[in-house]
Amino acid sequence: MIDIVGILADNILTIVLITLGGILISLGVHFVPVGGAPAAMAQATGVGTGTVQLAAGAGLTGLVTAGFMMNVTDNMGLIIASGTIGAMIMISVTMLVGQMMYVYGVGCPPASAKVKYDPITKDRQDLYVSQGTEGHGVPTASYISGIIGGGLGGLGGSMIYYALLSIDNGLPEAKFIGIASIFAVGLFFVNAVIPSYNIGGTIEGFHDPKFKRFPNAVLASFIATFLAAIMGVVAIGGM
Amino acid sequence: MEPLTGMGVLALMGAAATIAGASEDLESDVGSQSNPNSQVQLAPQMMYPHRIYNKAISGEPPSNALICAIGGTVATVLMVTGAAAILALIVGSFVAMLVHGTYSVTPYIGRSASQKRFKQPIYLDIIRSHTPVIMGFAFITTFCILVISYLMISALGHPFPLPLLAFIWGIAIGAIGSSTGDVHYGAEREFQNFEFGSGLNAANSGNIVRKAESGIRNGIDNSWFCAKFGGPATGLAFGMVVFLSGWITVVFDPSISDTLGWEAIIAGVVIVLILIAFNRKIEVDARKRYGPYKVDDEEVGA
Repeated sequence: MIDIVGILADNILTIVLITLGGILISLGVHFVPVGGAPAAMAQATGVGTGTVQLAAGAGLTGLVTAGFMMNVTDNMGLIIASGTIGAMIMISVTMLVGQMMYVYGVGCPPASAKVKYDPITKDRQDLYVSQGTEGHGVPTASYISGIIGGGLGGLGGSMIYYALLSIDNGLPEAKFIGIASIFAVGLFFVNAVIPSYNIGGTIEGFHDPKFKRFPNAVLASFIATFLAAIMGVVAIGGM
Repeated sequence: MEPLTGMGVLALMGAAATIAGASEDLESDVGSQSNPNSQVQLAPQMMYPHRIYNKAISGEPPSNALICAIGGTVATVLMVTGAAAILALIVGSFVAMLVHGTYSVTPYIGRSASQKRFKQPIYLDIIRSHTPVIMGFAFITTFCILVISYLMISALGHPFPLPLLAFIWGIAIGAIGSSTGDVHYGAEREFQNFEFGSGLNAANSGNIVRKAESGIRNGIDNSWFCAKFGGPATGLAFGMVVFLSGWITVVFDPSISDTLGWEAIIAGVVIVLILIAFNRKIEVDARKRYGPYKVDDEEVGA
């Protein structure tokens, strides 16, 4: 018989860390500038792919670097920082090469249709938006926003992974790592999907009006991750 | 591990990643997958029937994650039974390729059949000529991802199991291919009949180019064009991701001391700052070279 109450009582901090990680992922996804299908035709500002896809791609790359770091050190700060930086490298490389596509392959300058001036560089935007489009490419504000978003995703993902690996159980190490990493990936997807209801296909980054909707998604992620964390802790702790 | 050995392994992983990125993008161009396929799907409804393969298995990240995870699982099972690693990786990629081939044919037939009312034919010769090409690219992509994952585990000591690592790299390569190379296909190749140098006007949606350099255009013509820029650029992006994210921990080995680990993090931050500066330079150059599309009304009024 599994002592559910005992396991939960022993792992309260783990549940808190997992929930916090989920909230960070959910917040981070709002920062990532995605344009969905229209961006692939240079019809909308941002990267030409889906919200969940890009956020998951970056965050999971962070999870790979965090997993490697965790293998060689117990320093929590270092593990979480490596997850963050791994995700930031992935997303900044992707956005840079995407930018090259828009500039050299399609021949249009990066421009935002949501703001008149770029909030970071103060460059005029509306004049550089071609006819019949909602902007194109990745202007500097969106680029920096994307890096922050990728970083938050990597931070949240690696925090969940670290917390899961601190649960006491009777599993051999290899199986424990396998289960913890799959659970971390699963929670990542849960929290990458929830914000996409807010984003609805396209968002340019922190300067986009849709960004202000993030508290709803954060609340939803808090509830979903908290419940998932309880299930995960009981499942892994009871093995 | 010896730093020199680590760098050698990393160089091999970077090379495999570059090939994987290029083949992933070209595979999605031959079969027309992901976001640009929305236009291929829309074209018959706007009275532009075409001979382009219409394959949207799913978004590129889940589809690549699926084939990589299948390949990784088959390879792991074979290795447990005592097979040599290289044989296991090849057999795993082969099985993944067969699954991908099946998944490619069904959406082409299904989607084209659903557009019968718009007079979109199902071309059997397109299935015969394109499906082996799609499967071939899928094999190369899966094999390279499996090589990267296997090297990470066996040489660099990564703790994740092979199928999971292959799954994660599958998601990452799909996200990168969909974000970079597909723009060249979707925004340029599909709409070469409009003037170069702007995004697609929403009024022109669905009006894709249907005539090729010779004859009627198909998916292989598209991959020929995208192989000049979109494919290699995707390879460059994925190669950079795999190489740079590994490079910081190979050069500043955190297993020696935590101080070196923090130096690895600082090196990562410096890389990101350089990339931000590079992106800004491209943005400024593009604005200067191409100029604005519209005249500033405020200045004209004054």
